[in-house]
Amino acid sequence: MPQKTSMYVSIMLVAAVLGLMLSVQFRAVNRASSGISIDRAQELTAELKQINHEEGELSKEINDLTFKLNQVKQGQAEAVTALQSELNKVRMSAGLITVSGPGIELVLDKPDNTEDSEIPPELMVIQDEYLLSALNELWGAGAEAISINGQRIIATTEIRQAGSFININLNRVVPPYQILAIGNPQELMNTLEMTGGLQEYWRDLGIKVSIEKHEDLTLPAYVKK
Amino acid sequence: MNNKSYHWILLMFGVVMGLILAVQFRATSDMQSPPDLETPIALAQDLDEARKDRDQLQAKVDGLRNQLDSAVTGPELSRLKEELDEARQEAGMKDVQGAGVEVTLDDSNKVLQPGENPNFYVLHDGDVLRVLNELKAAGAKAISLNGQRIISTTEVRCIGPTILVNKNQRLSPPFIISAVGDPETLSSALKMKNGVIDYLKFWGIQVEVKKADKLTIPAYTGGLVFDYAKPKIS
Repeated sequence: MPQKTSMYVSIMLVAAVLGLMLSVQFRAVNRASSGISIDRAQELTAELKQINHEEGELSKEINDLTFKLNQVKQGQAEAVTALQSELNKVRMSAGLITVSGPGIELVLDKPDNTEDSEIPPELMVIQDEYLLSALNELWGAGAEAISINGQRIIATTEIRQAGSFININLNRVVPPYQILAIGNPQELMNTLEMTGGLQEYWRDLGIKVSIEKHEDLTLPAYVKK
Repeated sequence: MNNKSYHWILLMFGVVMGLILAVQFRATSDMQSPPDLETPIALAQDLDEARKDRDQLQAKVDGLRNQLDSAVTGPELSRLKEELDEARQEAGMKDVQGAGVEVTLDDSNKVLQPGENPNFYVLHDGDVLRVLNELKAAGAKAISLNGQRIISTTEVRCIGPTILVNKNQRLSPPFIISAVGDPETLSSALKMKNGVIDYLKFWGIQVEVKKADKLTIPAYTGGLVFDYAKPKIS
């Protein structure tokens, strides 16, 4: 009988210790997953930077609109100027008028058909998604207007593979693809040329890439088809 | 006999306890020194404030645009104002209503095998771009991503598990893309054989397409700033 009691006591003790350990373990794991990681801080910093940038743009817009509003109140002639200038700005954003400014010229071309056949032929075609990612990267770097082979890119522009062609604004375009982007030339260039960036990726695929800065580019207006 | 089973039970507990101890030890030593909590928390607070400031500025811009519109009188100006209205429509600065489709995208719910790269199965900016492009090709008149209007200069960028749109709003999965246009054309373009949905499903991305009779795509409310581009008027 005393042996049985001591057995129960020791089992109880062991079980109690076990329970304690389990709960400590559980808490430790929980804490680990809810900890704010270094990545999180980086994400927050990146977002903060974006918001500050956005705030800067909104402040500029407020100054611009306030100036125009004052102009409108001054008289008929001034009001016309103010409205015309606002109209131009909105049209520029919609891609409805020709624009000019500094920027870059990016040309993507098919690789030459040499004996180098290590790259499968389907990869030799410049895919629509290469152009899509190029545009996305350029917009992200602050491009203000972009055209591809004379087609102005607007909100509803599609870039879509159709066999060996690509359709842009319902127009068939063929390589070489010439992408013109207006914006800060250095920033636009950096975003493509950075290590691990798109230029490196394209070159690895064997695509011919050239990037050039320009002082004065002219991009055509969007033409409805 | 009784004595023997007592020993067995003790042995079992001993083994289990040892195991737990070892796991516990490894888990704690794996945890690096607690990350610096203060910086992210301060950042998060800054971010909240910055967001509020930005929203205020956005509201102010909206107000000023309306004031500019209502300050306009006289026949010549009202002609200009009509043109301005039209241009704003094209630029995505007006709400658009109509029938269309709603596409929901979410990360894969696939259970990963050891050694598989989880990166393949999360939604990437490229996936969202594909869907947007397909909708544009199918004639969508206006598109929004989680309530943010897509305009020409909209970039879609992955930052960690969230995506950045229009340079400001952060979204986390699931992503809801709304597009106004012919619902039949839009949904069949997405569901085409070997089309974008087939591609996404290959990676286990969850895609759902719903036709809707009435959708509202909000206007773009950000600033229009052109530091480099100048209009060329012939």
